[in-house]
Order: sequence, then structure tokens, then C-alpha cells
Amino acid sequence: MDGVLSYIQFILAPQMLTGLALGVAVVLVALGLTIIFGLLDVINMAHGEFYAVGAYLAVALGLAGINFWVLLLLVPLIMAPIGYALERGLIQRVFNTGEDRHVTTLLLTFGLAMVIEELILIVFGVATMRPATPIPGAIQVFGMFLPNYRLFLIAFGLLVVAGVAIAVYRTRFGSMVRAAAFDRDMAASLGVPVSQVYALTFALGVALAGLAGVLLAPIYSVFPTMGRDFVFIAFTVVIVGGMGSIVGAVVAGLLLTQVQAISSLFISPVWSQPIVFGIMVLVLVLRPQGLFGRLGHA
Amino acid sequence: MLDRLSLSMRASHILVALLVVIALVFALVAWSTGDRFYLRLATEALIFAGLALSVDTLLGYTGLLPLGQALFFGFGAYVSALVLREAPSFWTAIGVVFLSTLVVGLTGGVIASRARGVYFALISFGLAQVVSKVVFNIRELGASDGLRGIPVLDIEFGLFSISTNAPLAFFLFTLAFILLLYALAAYLLDTPFGRVLIALKANEKRVPFLGYSVFGARLAAYILAAEIAALSGALYPMLRGFVSPELMFFAVSGNAIIGVILGGVGTLAGALYGSILLTLMRSIVGTWTEHHLIVIGLVFIIVVIFLPRGLLGFVRPRLEAVLSRRQKP
Amino acid sequence: MKPMLEARNLAVSFGGIHAVDGVTFAAAPNQITTVIGPNGAGKSTLFNLISGAVRPHRGHIVLDGKRHEHMRPDRLRELGIGRSFQITNLFFELTVAENLRLAAQLLEPRKHWLVPVRRSTLAGQRVGELLEEFHLAGKADERAGDLSHGEQRRLEIAVALAARPKVLMLDEPTQGMSHSDTAETARLIRALTDSVTVLLIEHDIGLVMDISDRIVVMHQGRKLADGPPAEVRADPAVQAAYFGHARS
Repeated sequence: MDGVLSYIQFILAPQMLTGLALGVAVVLVALGLTIIFGLLDVINMAHGEFYAVGAYLAVALGLAGINFWVLLLLVPLIMAPIGYALERGLIQRVFNTGEDRHVTTLLLTFGLAMVIEELILIVFGVATMRPATPIPGAIQVFGMFLPNYRLFLIAFGLLVVAGVAIAVYRTRFGSMVRAAAFDRDMAASLGVPVSQVYALTFALGVALAGLAGVLLAPIYSVFPTMGRDFVFIAFTVVIVGGMGSIVGAVVAGLLLTQVQAISSLFISPVWSQPIVFGIMVLVLVLRPQGLFGRLGHA
Repeated sequence: MLDRLSLSMRASHILVALLVVIALVFALVAWSTGDRFYLRLATEALIFAGLALSVDTLLGYTGLLPLGQALFFGFGAYVSALVLREAPSFWTAIGVVFLSTLVVGLTGGVIASRARGVYFALISFGLAQVVSKVVFNIRELGASDGLRGIPVLDIEFGLFSISTNAPLAFFLFTLAFILLLYALAAYLLDTPFGRVLIALKANEKRVPFLGYSVFGARLAAYILAAEIAALSGALYPMLRGFVSPELMFFAVSGNAIIGVILGGVGTLAGALYGSILLTLMRSIVGTWTEHHLIVIGLVFIIVVIFLPRGLLGFVRPRLEAVLSRRQKP
Repeated sequence: MKPMLEARNLAVSFGGIHAVDGVTFAAAPNQITTVIGPNGAGKSTLFNLISGAVRPHRGHIVLDGKRHEHMRPDRLRELGIGRSFQITNLFFELTVAENLRLAAQLLEPRKHWLVPVRRSTLAGQRVGELLEEFHLAGKADERAGDLSHGEQRRLEIAVALAARPKVLMLDEPTQGMSHSDTAETARLIRALTDSVTVLLIEHDIGLVMDISDRIVVMHQGRKLADGPPAEVRADPAVQAAYFGHARS
């Protein structure tokens, strides 16, 4: 009995907490991906790179002496206009080429990802960086050590997720987003400035990815290919949750990161990715549309 | 009387013939100057062109975007390396690669062919990602170092043999090998089977009502593409003497896609041109900056926006028009 | 006469709504059987059930004396059910000839599947026939997407017919056609009955009465009446539910 308790106390619970912190960050990234897909029909291959840019901005601005709490607001505010400009300047250009929009936009953002990754290399070099934890220390609950920063990350991340959900489901902008996702032409005829809404949504997604970068930088290291590694799990989350589903991204994001966290207690962490991927394949086979319905359609 | 699709294929043949002429001229020049480096580089370019060919059979003819086709390229390379370390025979290696790819392609195909569009792309991406991570961590496969020390081979043809260490001979051999893969793909795509694949790209929803199984056709295309990629990959350890997990990484899949887009999707010949051009560009840009990816990424973005049909998408229709006029006296 | 196609008790519901609710009818060989009914009566869903596009919750079909349950559309096409679509559903990127060849190559024996297209002569001949029969010879090398609406509708029928099905199902073949095109298409369909059993969905009541051998009337997912045109026209229930509706 004692053994079980101390197993939970010292191994399982901390692992789950770590998983939850990662999960919340994954949800932030997946949320952007899924909203962008649900509305624009764009698979944003550069999304992981936006996450990386967010993390690097946090490192760079942090070194310049800007307070972490300011960064939480500042970095998304820097990222959003970048996203807006990229959507208007690049992505909207290939919307009406007559080719398959999924493919052309995927390829375009793929090229963009290459460029961003190289820019990061040029500016910051290959070295791995790791900013200091903004909230050091840990609290002790039932004999368990819970790192303060992770607790903060979970709470703050969930607040942001709730904020996004409110923005999409309870605001005028959100109703325009949903209308445009359901039927672009219909929305346009009702006076929704569709291309404006597209760009703003893309900007929102990019800002969220950047925010996730800021939040995770003190926990995981910051390195040039960090986006590529991270976006894989985010894509899996989006597929399992249902492409374009906000609820799906949250549920699948928290679920899959827990699966990853807990399974790596029993087997080598190398295999946790195949397991998560196996779940994705299973979902695709049994329920191709994912667990939840698409934005604007359900 | 040929229809437009068959004419397009004929136009591709002419463009590939032109490529062969260019390659032979290059070989002649390289031989006369005693070059080794550029011959090896060109051989590598041809090997990766085989991967691009495989991407185009899926992307250009079946309408499926394989984001992780390097999986099969790397698979072929690893299997070939493993066989060659035990038994240094080209034909054994190719035979084993062919058969094992049938099995692996069928397995992957059964999973991936259920998905369509975006989902296919992401499954393909995920499969490659997972397998490369696993290979990266298996010590028996050399982990992150890969497999080294693949012996130099003599490819036996009965009357003569070609050493993989002879740059010119192995370049010409690789040229012939990739041409054979091109011929295989081009032949199959101009059969009723190939037409069903083209139909899948044009309008998948109508295909079942013509009596063709979407799943079956997609699966067959997947296996075909897997074979082309794996057989190309099988040559890699013969050229370089080693294989590494990087061969399965997304960068390799991505490069193949860039090559196909650059050359022209759905032209087969374009895959070869684009891929070779890309390798060329990479090595030229690479001489003046180590950040050549940024240039390639930019070129890619520009092509996608302004030249979505690629270089041959521009050239080939004109060639087709000429062929079509000659057909009607 | 033994029917070529029978639907027996076919039913499907979507989200609790009975789109098709236990429909049974038979189509005699080399005749035109037309399904009519107001919008939302379940005509297109019935077609989807018979052609395998939608899986029935209940019921089955009998084709040429053989019972088939839960068949996929590609198997049903091989067994002899060809269909067209209400919304033109062609390979718009491909030429007219390529569309037809694609459909006609089902006629080729399996061993020809991996020989070059130009050598599949059976399909090639069939394409020639169809181009003539449907007045599309002059357009053979044009992209299907570039054809006029009327031509696309004709090609739609030709594609469905290309591999010589036993039963040809046409979902509103004259939809959006001009008056003269409609009359021409009606003649064409009539002529097809020499070789095929036709199942039709059509809105143009004049045309329906004119060319149908038998009419099945649907209303709210159920079969309301079923018989020769004159008989159906006289049926008071049909008058009330359908013709009354159409005239108002």
C-alpha cells in the first residue's frame, strides 16, 4: 500500500503534472492550427516555426532585460502582425490559383517554414538556449513537489484557451469567423469582410503559437528545429480532435500528452511517439473526421 | 489516335530523352577532364530524382501529397546497406529491397490509403516521422550514426561488371537505373490502371460509380510509389558507402516535393528535371553561403505563387501542341 | 416478365428523419421507370441506396434475379448498375474522350489493365460509338469543364452508359437544359431502352408522362403510387400530394 502511494506521490503525479504543462502548451499550438484549418482550409506547416520564433523572441527580449511578464503580452503582440502580413501577402495569393487549396497552401507554408528556420539559424546560431525559470521554487502538496512555474503555466494556459473559446463563440468577431468557416460566400454576402477575417484568424493562430513558445522556453530548451519536433504532436492532436474543432484540440491535446507522459514511465520515451501516432491512425480508421466536429459545422 | 493524356506522356518521353542527352554530354565532359566530384554529385542527384519520381506518381497522378515519402527511400537504403554488409551482391540487394518494400508498402498503404486529401498527407508525414525516430534510436541499426562501411561493389552483368567505385561507370549505371524506373512509372500510368489513378486526382467521388475501387487503386499507387522510392534509395549506400537516419527525415521528403513542384507536377519528366536542378542549385548556393535553405525556401515560395505548374508545366503543353498537330495530318 | 431491377423494402434515416422509408418497386427490362415526387420526397436518396452511394439500414435490391445487400458502388457498377448525377459529376480536367474512355475501360478484360491505353481497343471503339450517339464527336478533345451545360449533361449520361450497364440510373438528366435540348435528350433516352433498362428521376412532368413506361411516385420517403402513367395520373392520392402541389 505504501509502495503504491509513494509511487503515485513521487513518480506518477509529477509525471502527469509535467505532461499537463506540456499538454496545455500543445493545446495552445494545436488551437491555432485547428482554427486556421477550420476557417481557411490551410494546413499551416510553418506553425511549429512560429512557436519557435515565439520562444526565441522570449530569449532575445529577455536578454535585453525585458521582464517575463511583459513578454507574455509583448511576444503575441509582435507575432500577430507578422501572421497578418504573411496571410495577406503570401497565403491569400494562392487561394484562387485553381489548384487544390490544401496542397498549394501546404506547400507555401512549408517553404515559409524553411525560410523561418534558416532565419533563426542565421540570427541565433545553432546553440541551445534556456532562459531562467521566471518563478523558481516549488510548493509541497501531500508530500509532492509541484514546481511553481509549471502550475502557473497550466493555469495561465487554460485561461488563454478559455479566452479563445469565448472569443470564437461569444464575440462578434467569433461569429464572423464561424460564419465564414461554414460558408465563405454566404458570409461574404452577409457583409462579413471575409479576407480580413481570414487574416485576423491567421494572426490569432500565430500569436497563440508564439505565446506557447514563450511559455515553454523556460521548461524545454530553445533550439532551431524545436518547431518541427513540436508541431508533430500538435498535428496529431488536431487530427485526433477533429480538424477545425476547438473542443477537440483541447480534449485531444490534454489526453495525448497524458498518454505520452504516462507511457514513458513504463517504456522508453522513444516509443511514446509511435504510441501517440498509433492512436492517431486508429482514430483515422475508425472515425476519420476526428472525435469532434469542425468549426462552424457543428 | 492518341488522346491528350497519352500525348502528354509522349511529350514527357521527349523531355526525358533530352535530359539523357544532357547527362551524356556532362559525362563526356567529366570524363575528359578526369572529374570525380561532380560525377559523384550528379549520381547522387539522379538517385534523389528517383525519389522525386515516386512523389510525382502520387502527387501528380493520384492526387495524394506524400509528406513522408523519404520513409521508403530510407527504407530501401537501409535494407540495401544491411544486405550489402552481409552479401556484397547488387542483385541480391535489389531483390531483397523489392520484396521487403512490397510488404512494407502494403502495410503502410493499408493504413494511409484509407485517408484522403490532407489526412493522407499527415499520415504519410507521421509514419515517416515515427519510423525515422525509431531508427534513430535503435543501436543495432547504428542509431544516429547510421550504418557505415558498406563495401565497394562490382555489379555483375555476366559479360562485364561495373564497380560502384568508378565514378563514370556508376553514374551511367545510375542514369540507366533511374530511366528504367521512369519507364516503369510512365508505362503504368498510361494503362487503364494509370487512368484510374488520374481519375482519382481529377474527381475521386465519381470513380466508384465507374466500377473502380478507390481504396484498391490508391493502395496500388502507394505501393508503386514505395517501390520507386525504395529502389532509388537502394543505390544510395552503393554510392556513399553509408546510410543514416537523416535519409528518412522530413527534409528529404520536403526536397523531393520541392523538386517535383519546381519541375512541374504531374509530368514525371519534371520530377527528374526539378530534382536535379534543385541539387545543382543547392551545391552552387552552398558554395557562397551555408544557409542555402533560405534561398531554396524562397525560390520554392516564388514557384508556388507564380509558377504553380512548374518549369515543365510551362514547356510541355507547347510540346504537346506540336505533337498533336503532327498527329492530325 | 421478370424485372431487371427490384428494390425491396429499402430504408434509411438521417438523424431520425426517415429519408426513405421502406420503398419497394420493380423495373422491367428495356423499359423506362421514372421516380417522381416533390422536393425532399427521397428520390435522390433512393437512387443513392440503389447505386450503393448510401448504405441502407434495411432492405436490399435484386438485380437480374440476384439479391444484393450492402454492396459498395464499385461492385454494383461491375454487376451492372450505372448511374449519372443530378449535379454534373465529371472529370472536368480531362477531355471528353478521356472521360468516356475511363468509363468504357471497365469493358476490357482484366488482363488488359496493364497494357497501354492505346491498345485497349474495346474501350477505344466504345468511345467512338458514344461520341457519335451523343453528338459529341466534334468535342472529343475538349476539356469536359469547357463544354456547355447541355453538352456536359449529355456527357454525364454517356459516361454512365459507357460500360454497358444492365440498369442505367439517370438523376434529372435534363436539369437546367433548354426546351429543345430537353426534347432531344428525351428522344435519346427513349432510344437507349433497346439495350438497357432505364431508371429515371425527372421533374419535367410532361416529359415523364411522355417517355415513362412506369411511374413510381414518392412522398415523404414513402411510395405513394406505382403504375403506368395514365393510371398514376388518375390516382387521387397522387393528385392531392403531387400534381395539386405542382399546379399551385
